[in-house]
Amino acid sequence: MQRGITLEQLPTGIDAQRNTILQARKTLGKIILGKDPQIALALACLLARGHLLIEDLPGLGKTMLAQALAHTLGLEFRRIQFTSDLLPADVVGVSVFRQDSGKFEFQPGPIFSQLVLADEVNRATPKAQSALLEAMEEHQVTVDGNTMPLSEPFFVIATQNPGDQIGTFPLPESQLDRFLMRVEIGYPDEASERELIAGGDRRAMIAEIEPVAGPEMLIALQKSVRAQHLSEPLIDYIQALVRHTRESAEIDIGLSPRGSQALVAAARAHAYVENHSGVYPDDVQAIFAAVAGHRLKPAGSTRFRSPAELCQHVLDSVAIP
Amino acid sequence: MKAQPRGTDGSLLASLPWTLGALGLALAPHLPYLPIWITIASLGCAAWRYSIEKRRRLLPSRWVRGGLALACFLGVLVTYSSVSGVGPGSALLAIMAGLKLLETRRRRDQFVLLFISIFLVMSSLLREQYLWSLLYLIVSTLVILTAWLRMSAAESETAKQSFVTGSRLLLYAAPLAIVMWVFFPRIATPFWAVPIDTSRATSGLSATMSPGDISSLSMSNEVAFRVRFADIVPAPRDRYWRGLVLTSFNGRTWAGTEPRIGSPASKQIAVRGEPITYEVTLEPTRQHWVFAIDIPMSWSLKNTFMGPQQQLMRVHPIDQRVAYEVVSYVDYRIEAELPKLFRDWYLKIPDNSNRRAAELARQMRSATGSDVAYIEAVLAKFHNEEYYYTLEPPPLGSSPVDRFLFDTRRGFCEHYASAFAFLMRSAGIPARIVLGYQGGEINPLGGHLIVRQSDAHAWTEVWLPETGWYRVDPTAAVAPERIDYGTLDVAFDGLGATWGFAASSQLLHRLSLTLDALNARWNDWVLGYGPDTQKKFMEWLGMQNPDWRKMMLTLVTIVIALIILISGLLMLRYRKPAQDRAAILYWRFVKQTGMQPHLGETAADFARRVAVDGTLDRQSVNNVITAYLDARYGPADDASLLRLKNAVTAIG
Repeated sequence: MQRGITLEQLPTGIDAQRNTILQARKTLGKIILGKDPQIALALACLLARGHLLIEDLPGLGKTMLAQALAHTLGLEFRRIQFTSDLLPADVVGVSVFRQDSGKFEFQPGPIFSQLVLADEVNRATPKAQSALLEAMEEHQVTVDGNTMPLSEPFFVIATQNPGDQIGTFPLPESQLDRFLMRVEIGYPDEASERELIAGGDRRAMIAEIEPVAGPEMLIALQKSVRAQHLSEPLIDYIQALVRHTRESAEIDIGLSPRGSQALVAAARAHAYVENHSGVYPDDVQAIFAAVAGHRLKPAGSTRFRSPAELCQHVLDSVAIP
Repeated sequence: MKAQPRGTDGSLLASLPWTLGALGLALAPHLPYLPIWITIASLGCAAWRYSIEKRRRLLPSRWVRGGLALACFLGVLVTYSSVSGVGPGSALLAIMAGLKLLETRRRRDQFVLLFISIFLVMSSLLREQYLWSLLYLIVSTLVILTAWLRMSAAESETAKQSFVTGSRLLLYAAPLAIVMWVFFPRIATPFWAVPIDTSRATSGLSATMSPGDISSLSMSNEVAFRVRFADIVPAPRDRYWRGLVLTSFNGRTWAGTEPRIGSPASKQIAVRGEPITYEVTLEPTRQHWVFAIDIPMSWSLKNTFMGPQQQLMRVHPIDQRVAYEVVSYVDYRIEAELPKLFRDWYLKIPDNSNRRAAELARQMRSATGSDVAYIEAVLAKFHNEEYYYTLEPPPLGSSPVDRFLFDTRRGFCEHYASAFAFLMRSAGIPARIVLGYQGGEINPLGGHLIVRQSDAHAWTEVWLPETGWYRVDPTAAVAPERIDYGTLDVAFDGLGATWGFAASSQLLHRLSLTLDALNARWNDWVLGYGPDTQKKFMEWLGMQNPDWRKMMLTLVTIVIALIILISGLLMLRYRKPAQDRAAILYWRFVKQTGMQPHLGETAADFARRVAVDGTLDRQSVNNVITAYLDARYGPADDASLLRLKNAVTAIG
């Protein structure tokens, strides 16, 4: 189901792009109440061409955020519910023998979509997980020896529930690395919760969302993001942060060069989403926990209980040039 | 005291080779002077230490180290029978530096080793102060500095970077060193005396002469002294450099015992003609004689007197290179009057040796009519008969004059001088032998005259009533070319031939002359920079009546100025990367708020805090921050900078 609108229907140019971002944030803000930072992060992640991992307890709106994103951006959307009996073919697709033509015909799986929601990704077996993760990395799948490209743009939003321990297969570090960001949603504040209780059905609201962009617009936006100005002092700042993660006694394994690239890409996208004239230190600080949190391995003796706390500690220890 | 752990973890592996190299360079100039076992022991220690580090073994225990140290100390004591002085001192330093390696466990120990290396490098100047010593000094100091920097360097720093930093440090230090060297007051008599290593005394003239004992004359090309003539350069045949005079002969050996004379020796000289003025730079001889062209009339060297036979002597031996000016006359007469007592002294010959020669003398004297005719006859005999000049004469035995005159007939200057003086004395003519140098080579590159050890010469002086003491060189009768041209060309050809490149001996000679010219300059300008030269230089610089106080003051002033200058340059170099103007304006704003941003607090967060604090207008703070973020992190843009400036000024 193609819900997007074509480029001709949209106003073009920088103002149009800005407008799109503004509209998207507004629309998403109506569905996910009081979670503007997380919405900005999720948008930035997609604009930076990264995959998003949403990790939180059930009922906090993980799936809702993913669906709302898909609808708002006008992307083709498929959902895969990961369970322990999910097979790779359920993700990628399967070749079926057609009697009328006497040939095998490939039935594309849900992965052939612009935005894939992999719900409860840690519930599936590593085999199924890796089918997804390979597709994320390569932007293509290989079935029966045929390599098929995925649609462009292609995003994966995965969710997982950190509370569940029984019957789950936590993603290993190397696969966590494929996600540009890991975002936690958290409980809504008092006012938002009140509105949520009083307000209407969220699912119905999602269905009514008018898309503000389409795949072409998204590609144009991604291009603009890569042109976002990155000043010398800011490069110094990112370098200092990365160096600190490598040298700090609290951290066993610091950020890799891919990690620092991810920081730059995400900060650029965030600055674009926030309509900043360049990448500000605030952008770096905003995305730091989401980008670095799942890439750092804290030292065994660390006094910080969560990756977020550890990331905040890093931010508090590095001077801003 | 708690014993320290002896293990190594290989952490020094990266910097240890540098330390070893630096130490090796520092030790190398000492090793030729030290007994061979010290070289072996030091190398052994270095190899042992390196293998310990490489294989992560244990360092030797305290007992082993103590035992080794004691053994080495005793070894030095036995070798030198002393532990003070340059020789034993540097031997101890060398061996203890090697042993120190065995307890080098941490960086601190390596620093100590490098300190020792620097000390060793400096102390090598006690032995040699050639031009290349300076080059070696610079190179080895550079390596030590590099080793030092390697040790404190971050892992990412390459050896090349350390080396460049080291060179730069050395370059910064160079002006200081030069200024200190120029201005540090030289004192006429040094109050610290450097104990000279006497184990390798320079070969020179000896105080006695025994022709026939030595069967081969060493053709050492070592420089005896260099001479710079003021204007007149005397002809080679006039370049007789008077050294010492030998007056007594025991049948084999001429020695320098001399009769005392009442009136000063210089009073007995009468001179004629043009004076020759020149400056001699004499290499250390550790003897008392001071060389000058026959016959010196005045000289600038202090504590130097003319002996009874017109030889110049300094009261204390010449331990260091000295330079002195002399005025000589080649046309002179000495001692027209010779008292009976001295006449007898100069006629003394032992009765029981060299009888054939004495008999020959009597015959020849009676055959010729006068003393002068007799001298001519003897010289003619040397010239016409089968007498040869050779540097490798056969040994002569117990009656050397007889054997030389009648049997071997081969010899060099000493043989001829000795035989001639003996023949003179036997015939009743007072005679004595003068030792010194003859000739010398003009270095066309430096314009100075080089006199080498191979120019050493012996000649005779005879006394005649009409002329006084009169120089007769019998060698000139045998081998005139020795006197007129010198022997150097022969020597160099020989050298080239031995090394198998006779064709390039000319080139070799030129090279050697170039080196000599450089060395002469080095001696004149650097090593010869003593109290007098310094005073002259200070006056040339415009200092009135230079004394040590003024020089010290100048030195301190210049050093302070230089330190300020150099550190200023360094500060300019290493100043923080130029902060852009946006940052400067932001910090002005921070100052105005009276609050301090926390570590890692962004400008926006800080502004929020300032706004909550409430002393400043929220809007103007906002203006500053948006302008700052634009100017600092946005695309370079003068408008935003101006906005920031206005916003900050609006607050102030």
